[in-house]
Amino acid sequence: MLALVLVATQRGAESPLAMNDRGAESPAPHSGVARAFQARDQNTTLTAVEGLKVGHHTLAERPTGCTVILVDGDATGGVAQMGGAPGTRETDLLHPLNMVDKVNAIVLSGGSAFGLDAASGAVRWLDEHNIGWPTASGRVPIVPAAILFDLGVGGNSRVRPTADCGYKAAAAASITPVEEGSIGAGAGATVGKLGGQAEHDGYPAGSRKPMKAGVGSSSIALSNGLVVAALVAVNAVGDIVDPATGKIVAGVLNPDGTFADARKILRTGQTIRRPRPAENTTIGVVATNARLTKDQANRMALMANDGCARAIVPSHTLGDGDTIFALATGRWSGDVDVTTIGALAAEAMADAIVRAATRATSVAGITAARDLKK
Amino acid sequence: MIAAVLAAMVALQASNGTLTAIRGVRVGHHALDERPTGCTVILVDGGAVAGVAQRGAAPGTRETDLLRGSTQSEVRSTKSDASIDGVDRIDAVMLSGGSAYGLDAATGVMRWLDEHRSGRTASAGVPIVASAVLIDLWVGGKPRIRPGGDCGYRAAAAATHARVREGTIGAGAGATVGKLSGRDHAMKGGIGSAAIVLPNGLQVAAIVAVNPLGDVIDPQTGRVIAGVRTAGGSLADARKLLRAGATMAPAPAGGNTTIGVVATNARLTKADANRVAQMADSGYARAITPIHTPADGDTIFSLATGRWIGEADAATIGALAADVIAQAIVRAVTTATSAAGIPAARDLKR
Repeated sequence: MLALVLVATQRGAESPLAMNDRGAESPAPHSGVARAFQARDQNTTLTAVEGLKVGHHTLAERPTGCTVILVDGDATGGVAQMGGAPGTRETDLLHPLNMVDKVNAIVLSGGSAFGLDAASGAVRWLDEHNIGWPTASGRVPIVPAAILFDLGVGGNSRVRPTADCGYKAAAAASITPVEEGSIGAGAGATVGKLGGQAEHDGYPAGSRKPMKAGVGSSSIALSNGLVVAALVAVNAVGDIVDPATGKIVAGVLNPDGTFADARKILRTGQTIRRPRPAENTTIGVVATNARLTKDQANRMALMANDGCARAIVPSHTLGDGDTIFALATGRWSGDVDVTTIGALAAEAMADAIVRAATRATSVAGITAARDLKK
Repeated sequence: MIAAVLAAMVALQASNGTLTAIRGVRVGHHALDERPTGCTVILVDGGAVAGVAQRGAAPGTRETDLLRGSTQSEVRSTKSDASIDGVDRIDAVMLSGGSAYGLDAATGVMRWLDEHRSGRTASAGVPIVASAVLIDLWVGGKPRIRPGGDCGYRAAAAATHARVREGTIGAGAGATVGKLSGRDHAMKGGIGSAAIVLPNGLQVAAIVAVNPLGDVIDPQTGRVIAGVRTAGGSLADARKLLRAGATMAPAPAGGNTTIGVVATNARLTKADANRVAQMADSGYARAITPIHTPADGDTIFSLATGRWIGEADAATIGALAADVIAQAIVRAVTTATSAAGIPAARDLKR
C-alpha cells in the first residue's frame, strides 16, 4: 500500500522521459521491495512487465554487443519474422504446431550470424541457475535469438559478440528501466542506408551517409493492469519516421546534414545503393503480463511488426532480417483481448523504435539524431 | 512514328493515377442493387507473375497456395513472351464482398475468361483467378444478398483500361472502417486506387477495398481520416481508445478485412512478387490502426506484368508498393460516400 502511494506521487512528478534517464543511471537494482515497486512503476521500458529482466553487454574493442531478456520463471513465446535476410535460432520451436511453448530468455545480438553464439552464453547462465524446460535428463534452457549485422561499424570486423558476451549480459540483467541508445545489441546499429556508398568508416566527401541508432524501449500500462512493452535494436535499411507526425527522426543524411528522406529517394527512381543482405536488420521483443496461448503470442508478434512498418520506411526489405519475438508472462489474470494487446504491441514497438534513434549517441563517426544541428 | 504514338499512349495511361496506369491491367466493378455489396475484378492481358501476403487472422481466399514459394501451379504460358521468364502467371484477381460466399464471384470471372480467351489469357486450359473476400454481410440489413458468380461475370465484362472508379462501389460498396467501439460508431470505407510513376518508366499501382476493424490514418501527417466516431460525431482516434483501454473487447468479429492488389510493370520472379506483396503490407500497417487483428483477414496480391524492361529491385518496388497501398487506402475513405446510414469521411463536420 505504501509502495502504491509512493508510486502515484512519483508518477505525477516527472515526465516519463526524465524517469527513464534517471533510471538508466541508477546503479543498484535490488534494494528493497518498495524500491523495486517504485522502479517498476516509474519504468516505461520493457522491464515494466513484471518478471522480465534485461541485461546489456557491450564489447570494448568495437561498437557491438548483445542484449539478453531474461524471464523470471518462463513465458509463452511467439515470433514474427518479416525481413528477407534473417539470422535466428530456436524460432521453429515457437511455431504454433510445435510442442515447446515456454521460453526462458531471448537474446538479441550484433555480429551477424556469429552473434548467435551469444545465446549459448545465456543458455550456460540459465543452466547454472537450473532454469529451463523440464526433461527427464534435467532442465534445458529455451533461448530463441536473433542477430543484426554491424560488422562494418567501427573497426575490426572480426570482433563480434560471443558466448562470453551473452553470459555477461545475462549476469547483468536487472529489473531496472532498460538502458537505451548505443549499447548492447544496438551498440553498432545504424539506419538510413538507402542513400550513400557507406563502406565501413570512410565515406567519400559529398556522399549521403547513414545515421546511428541503437536500442530503444517503451511500455504502455492500462488502468486495468494490462502492461504491453517493447524493446528493439534498430539497424534498418530505412529511415526512422515518427508515426505520430510523419516526420523523419533519423535516416539518410545529405552532405549538408539535412535528411534526404528515403521516401523521396525511392520516388526519384535514381539508381540507389541497393540494400545488402548483410548490413541491416531490426530485432526486438514485445512482452505483456497477460496470459496468452502460443497462437496468441504469435499473433501479438505479427501485429507488433506493424510498429516496424509504421516507424521504419522502407521496412521488411530483402536486406533486412526483421524479427520480433513476443513474450507473455501470464502474471496478470485479466481478460485477454488479443486485438488490444497486439495493437498496443505495435504502438509500443513504434515508440521504442523512435526512442532507439533519439536515445542513440554518435559512434565511430556515425552521427546520431541528438547530434544533428538544429 | 508508331513508337511515338505508343509512347504518348503510355504517358496518357500513366497519368490516370490508378491501377489501370499499368499497361495491360483492366479493372471492372459490379455492385448489387439489393444491398451495398459487390465485387471488383482485376484482369491482366497476357497474365502476370503474382504473389500474395496474407497476414490478417480471419481470411477468406481462393488460389493463394499456388502463388506461394516454389509451388508449381498448373499455369503455363500459351504464348512465348521473350520479355518474361517462364514463371507462373495468373489471369485475374477478384476482390469481393459477401464473406466466404463472395468467393463464388471468382467462378464468374473464370467463366468470362473461358469464353474470351482470344490469346489474352495466360493459361492454356484453365484461367487462374486468385481471390479474397471481405465481410460486409451486416451492412444494409439483408445478409443473404451477396455477390455470386453472376456478379463476377458482370465485373469482368465491365473491366476497362479507364481510370478506376473509387469509393462506395464494387468490393468496397459495403466496406466500413472504425469498428473498435462497435458497428454503431463505424464509418464508411470503400475502394481506392493510386499509382506511382517514376521518370525511368517504372510504375507501381494499387487498388484496395478498405474494410478494417481499425481507423484509417494518413501516414504523412499521422492524423485519422475515418474511423471510430464519438457520440458527438467526431473522430475518437482508435490509438487513443486502445491506450485508454476503452475499446470494445473482444473486438467485433465478422465484419472486417482489407483486401487489395499491388501491380507493377516491372519484371519480377515469383519469389520477388511474394516479397513485394509482403512489403506492400507495410502500407496497410501505416494507413490502418490497428491492422492484422484476430478479426481481420487482410490479404494483398501482387502482380508483375513485366512489360517494362528497366532495372529495379524488389526492395525498391516493395517500398513503393507500401507507399502506393497507403495512398490507395486513404483514397478509399476520402472518395467513399455514405451508404446504409453509415457516414463517410466527406460527411464529417469540419
